[in-house]
Amino acid sequence: MPMLSRLQWAISLAVLALLLALPFLLPSFWTGNIMGRAIVYGIVAMSLTFLASYGGFISLAQTMIAGIAGYTVAVLAPTAIPLGNHWLPYWALIPLAVAAATFAGAVVGLIAVRTREIYLLMITLALAVGFSLFAQSNIDWFNGYEGIRNILGPDIFGYPFRNLYVFYYSSLLVATALYFLVLYVVKTPFGLVLQGIRDNPRRVSAIGFNVGVHRVASFALAGFIAGWGGVLITFYNIGITPGSIGIWATVNVLVMAVIGGLGHPIGAFIGALVYTLFDTFAATIYDRDRFNTLIGLVFLVIVLVSPDGLLGLFRRLTGWRTGRSVATETMEEKT
Amino acid sequence: MIEAPRRKPIANPFPAPAGKGIRKQKHSTNEIMTASQQSNPPPAPDAAVPALRLEQVGRRFGALQAVRNVTFDIARGERRGIIGPNGAGKTTLFNTICGDFPPTEGRILLFGEDISRLKPHLRARQGIGRTYQTSLLFTGLTVLENLFLAVRGAMPNRLSLLKPGAGDAALAKARDLAERVRVSNIAAEKIDTISHGQRRQVEVGMALASDPKLLMLDEPAAGLSAGERPELVKLIQDLPRDLTLILIEHDMEVALPNSDIVTVMKDGEVVVENTPDRIADDPVVQAIYLGGAH
Ligand SMILES: Nc1ncnc2c1ncn2[C@@H]1O[C@H](COP(=O)(O)OP(=O)(O)O)[C@@H](O)[C@H]1O
Ligand SMILES: [Mg+2]
Repeated sequence: MPMLSRLQWAISLAVLALLLALPFLLPSFWTGNIMGRAIVYGIVAMSLTFLASYGGFISLAQTMIAGIAGYTVAVLAPTAIPLGNHWLPYWALIPLAVAAATFAGAVVGLIAVRTREIYLLMITLALAVGFSLFAQSNIDWFNGYEGIRNILGPDIFGYPFRNLYVFYYSSLLVATALYFLVLYVVKTPFGLVLQGIRDNPRRVSAIGFNVGVHRVASFALAGFIAGWGGVLITFYNIGITPGSIGIWATVNVLVMAVIGGLGHPIGAFIGALVYTLFDTFAATIYDRDRFNTLIGLVFLVIVLVSPDGLLGLFRRLTGWRTGRSVATETMEEKT
Repeated sequence: MIEAPRRKPIANPFPAPAGKGIRKQKHSTNEIMTASQQSNPPPAPDAAVPALRLEQVGRRFGALQAVRNVTFDIARGERRGIIGPNGAGKTTLFNTICGDFPPTEGRILLFGEDISRLKPHLRARQGIGRTYQTSLLFTGLTVLENLFLAVRGAMPNRLSLLKPGAGDAALAKARDLAERVRVSNIAAEKIDTISHGQRRQVEVGMALASDPKLLMLDEPAAGLSAGERPELVKLIQDLPRDLTLILIEHDMEVALPNSDIVTVMKDGEVVVENTPDRIADDPVVQAIYLGGAH
């Protein structure tokens, strides 16, 4: 269906243009604390959505993996408080942090390589909680409960990362690149095999692919994505604490992904935006304690009304049938 | 005399450059082989080594002995039928050969090489292709993508991170396969939207994609209507004669005409092995089939 594909392209470009114009249309609070925040958390949520949508794996370790990138940046940042014994310039530090997250993703994939469904959830959740507790108890590197502050991020073209526009456009650039990376990868043999594992791992090995290696590789790719999110979140928060990667942060990212819809990577960003809006404004309407009740209710309603999230709801309301995979469309275009 | 194998044993270090996957070039391929063997020390492909040898193969599931003490050879190019009542252990025997459920006893030799302990994907790379009694396809992908992956799985660079381009060889081969198993008209459809009969055809296409040396079909016509059956039977009949084939088929009218030798299984064991014309008259077989197995 090339027409739909072209329509999707047109919509993507329109949305991108809107996102580019947004800082000039919105008050700065909206650009940074709503849109910017939704984008950086959306990246982590997308790493979860990627594994869920194409591999059928629900991993609760993605926030933890983002946290590994975040802590790598924080521990070695030149401006860190408390400052460690070693530090690196940001141009070396950011790739190192993303590499660490990629590696951590592969390790998680390796640990969970034989588990599925509820067991996969439990293992990844245990890893997430374990790492957060470790960070909390480790004073030497991670500064324990307090975490590490004053992670200002690099200067870009002479402007500090704290500059609203620098932060917003950098995050948008990274998110867009990763989003299209996912859409590309799922059309490659690597991505098609991942979808094959989702549908039928037994057949995947029967045609000659090593399912275990493939799973580990896709967790590594998801780790790479989450790593970028972790770096940007650390800059957004100007630091990192064990609480920011703990069980509640893990649940929040899961909520974002599910609210948006696990069927397509864009759902992660939609969910992150909705979540951020509620998180920001519900607290001003209600008091803080009731916020969790509210977001819990919203979550419940969305999951009950539309198990495939807002994206699924939108598809049903507009009658858009995107049942066919992205990969087929390109294959067809070439036919 | 048995026809010379189209593909050489796995150990042959002199792969013929031409003819890989191109069946028409069989004769020229053999000429190239002969030429290269004359100029080099001959690692003669031993025609006496059977395509498949089962030595006292058994498989237990807990207390259940699903397959017991199965021993037989399948010659190169042979078509072997396996029949027997439900629960006889036919599918389990396939699973021990392809590695999904490796044997708990005995040995399996593929062209003389012990594969009993290999993982399924490595056995697939050694040249085993199989179908499943209940279709196991990638339901979220299209027919063409299913076949494309099956082709890729047999290629050395199977895991590319590049999108297949217009001239992609694997994609072209997947299209040929779709043609061959008569699903090219639905190549762009997702598996979960096509009919059961079409899925059975894709099943066979998936197994053929690697140009297997040993093809195992597990009740390929299972669940097909009388109208759909002939198409699939024709598909089996049209398979190249030099391909080694094991066919599990409950329906004697499909099994017998398509087999050189028929093995009858019951309760996990081989009870009779004979040529198709004698099988139908065998008292043991008659007892099984008249004994209410249907
Ligand atoms: N994965 C398995 N786990 C437990 N029992 C199995 C499994 N696969 C097959 N069996 C049992 O092994 C016996 C043989 O089954 P099967 O090989 O499917 O027979 P057939 O294909 O001849 O109908 C049956 O009793 C079946 O229940
Ligand atoms: Mg069976």
